[in-house]
Amino acid sequence: MKSSTVDVLIVGAGPAGLAAAIELKRAGVKNVRIVEREKTAGGVPRHSFHPGYGLRDLKRFLSGPKYSRYYVNKALKNGVQISTSTTATDWIDPNTLTLTCPTGIEQVRASVILLATGARERGRAARAVAGKRPSGIYTTGSLQQATYLEDLYIGKTAVIVGTEHVSLSAVLTLKHAGVKTVAMICEKSKHQTVFGAPTIMKLLYRFKLHLATKIVEIQGDQRVTGVKVSRAGKEWVIAVDTIVFTGDWIPDHELARRGGIAIDRKYKSPITNGDSQIPNRSIYTIGNLNLPIKGADRCAVEARKIASKIAKQIHKGSILS
Amino acid sequence: MSNQEFDLAIIGAGVVGTAIAREFAKSDLKIALIDEKADVGEGTSKANTAILHTGFDMTPGSLESKLVSQGYELLKTYAQEVGIAVEKLGALLVAWSQEEVENLPKLKAKAIANGYTQCELITKEGLYELEPNLGQGALAALTVPGEWIIDPWSPIIAFATQAKLAGVQVLLNTKVLKLSYDVDGFKLQSNNGQITTRNLINAAGLYSDEIDGELGFNDFKVTPRRGELIVFDKLARGLINHVILPVPSSMGKGVLVAPTVFGNIMLGPTAENLEDKTATGSTEAGIQGLLQKGARIAPSLLDEEITAIYAGLRAATEHSDFQIKLHSLGGKQNYLTVGGIRSTGLTASMAIAIYVKELLIKAGVEIRDSKELPKIVMNNLGEASLRSYQDVEQIKLKPLHGEIICHCERTTTQEVLDALASPLPPTTIANLGRRTRAGLGRCQGFYCHHELRKLLERS
Repeated sequence: MKSSTVDVLIVGAGPAGLAAAIELKRAGVKNVRIVEREKTAGGVPRHSFHPGYGLRDLKRFLSGPKYSRYYVNKALKNGVQISTSTTATDWIDPNTLTLTCPTGIEQVRASVILLATGARERGRAARAVAGKRPSGIYTTGSLQQATYLEDLYIGKTAVIVGTEHVSLSAVLTLKHAGVKTVAMICEKSKHQTVFGAPTIMKLLYRFKLHLATKIVEIQGDQRVTGVKVSRAGKEWVIAVDTIVFTGDWIPDHELARRGGIAIDRKYKSPITNGDSQIPNRSIYTIGNLNLPIKGADRCAVEARKIASKIAKQIHKGSILS
Repeated sequence: MSNQEFDLAIIGAGVVGTAIAREFAKSDLKIALIDEKADVGEGTSKANTAILHTGFDMTPGSLESKLVSQGYELLKTYAQEVGIAVEKLGALLVAWSQEEVENLPKLKAKAIANGYTQCELITKEGLYELEPNLGQGALAALTVPGEWIIDPWSPIIAFATQAKLAGVQVLLNTKVLKLSYDVDGFKLQSNNGQITTRNLINAAGLYSDEIDGELGFNDFKVTPRRGELIVFDKLARGLINHVILPVPSSMGKGVLVAPTVFGNIMLGPTAENLEDKTATGSTEAGIQGLLQKGARIAPSLLDEEITAIYAGLRAATEHSDFQIKLHSLGGKQNYLTVGGIRSTGLTASMAIAIYVKELLIKAGVEIRDSKELPKIVMNNLGEASLRSYQDVEQIKLKPLHGEIICHCERTTTQEVLDALASPLPPTTIANLGRRTRAGLGRCQGFYCHHELRKLLERS
């Protein structure tokens, strides 16, 4: 088996991982490698085509893909090694990970490991939604990738479950895919995004907003035919062929847990000290692995700060390279 | 397909129908395996609880007891031969009340009457040592070391693949619309034309009574019995070491907690008699009921994420035993029904097939095993053996074994491509999932759905 050593190994080439890598290189750390399990680096913004990225970190207003490309190019220019289609599958010890990629299996030992594995939206099963299992059920993530990356057929009419920021992104994606948003529903009695946004969207895109409404059952054998919902004891069916479950994020903590790292019960994020460090280990967590969910720019800004501290410690010799 | 003639037609390509097709494929009969669905195993079989049963709790002397015991050995051997994942976990039958404690010795005696002698009674202390995460209040247990877990989908694919390679015509998307017989044989009118056959086997599961009815038989009525199941995240796997069984009741084996060979923990099934044969949806009441039971059996399980929830319909009848009936219709025509097969059908499948063959031989059908079945190797989907992504040698040969496409289940692109190029290629994401695990994991497609669809739609 191949084995190698680096100063810092970063798992995940999203905004946090990339921003941290750039900062580490800028601060003079020699070997910085990012492993990314997807074929392309960049993380979630890669498939989020609407503008609004880069406000806090770049003072610019970019689309997701442009924002991703900016970070990937900057990382490469700064000498960061990015390995795509490469999955960190397990730990050998707290400083060594096993990787699988098309060129083989490899062990990488690092003085510092940064976990930047991100977060995903909970799907229908994780929310314990009852009913049948037809096709036509998405999360915003899978919807965006099917729409923007592969241009696949989505459907005609949709219900969006959830009213977070990302839910608005689902409306835009559906519009792009030629799908009419019929309704947005949310179990809570108040929406979860910026003031006024759902109302503006509702008027702009002409859908109904049902708050304090619970999804009871998914209907349809081959394809979704509708969702049964309930509010204050009253049940009705919204006839649609597509359902998008949005938000309700959970950190992708699998690798952390496989390494025996303790998890916060509420947010399911790794438990760290104030500097995002796993106690007594040279492992740090950055980006949306630390919930609650943050925008890409905020992830990048925070990751940069943590990376700067790590670089100082490496230079001081308090972390041995 | 306009009019095709066969020596034998089998209606229903679930685990029973495919096992029968494979068994008869050894002969020189011309065979058709017919199913209305787009894939084999798409009906009741796909929602099996995935346990390789010893038959310790069957009714002694029943046909089910005999065929489950025989089928257990056959499927165990077959799985190891073709590379289908099994794990030798063993089960613990846990007593939660004094009444259940008193029932344990009776169950041990029943196991012996079924020919299974490995059960041992263990104390509460012994039980908690084996299962430290079990909820409070368990009083004692009976061990059943022979209860293993198995990949429930690969046997069906393997049976059908071998049958197809040996010459059986697998006619999917073919719904039998009308059925009749005369001196020339059985005539099956389908959406794909007419099929004529001298011998007919009804393995139509939920619809077996309706097929019987078409030919004027009325041996049993199928009452669909819904079973809902919750599958927990792989990170829960370490919580439970055995199949945790309740003390059985008249409605079935009750709610169990079992690891799966894919590395998850399963909770279920419920048991609810229905009228509607298409009611394969899960229900809020069912899910909540299971979660309550799960909270008692293994409270820490509920801290973990749910990966999937599904429901299946068992083809239960008014009889507790298997309903395997041969009707000789004069001359050389034989009609055989395999009905009333429930969760033990997976374990019993290969023994059922042999039993069916013997019945037809006895009835005078000339069946000679003239062929060796083609050897096949199934892709290992179990966590206890080497997976594609872990196999250094395979990656060297084909680099796409090193490209993980489904991150949650760690399915590689090569596994997906192999499935798409197989003799029985999947036509939907769900069918692809049953062959490769792709898309069935915790993210439910957040990351890989579009990649899988692209590969599927291209093929």
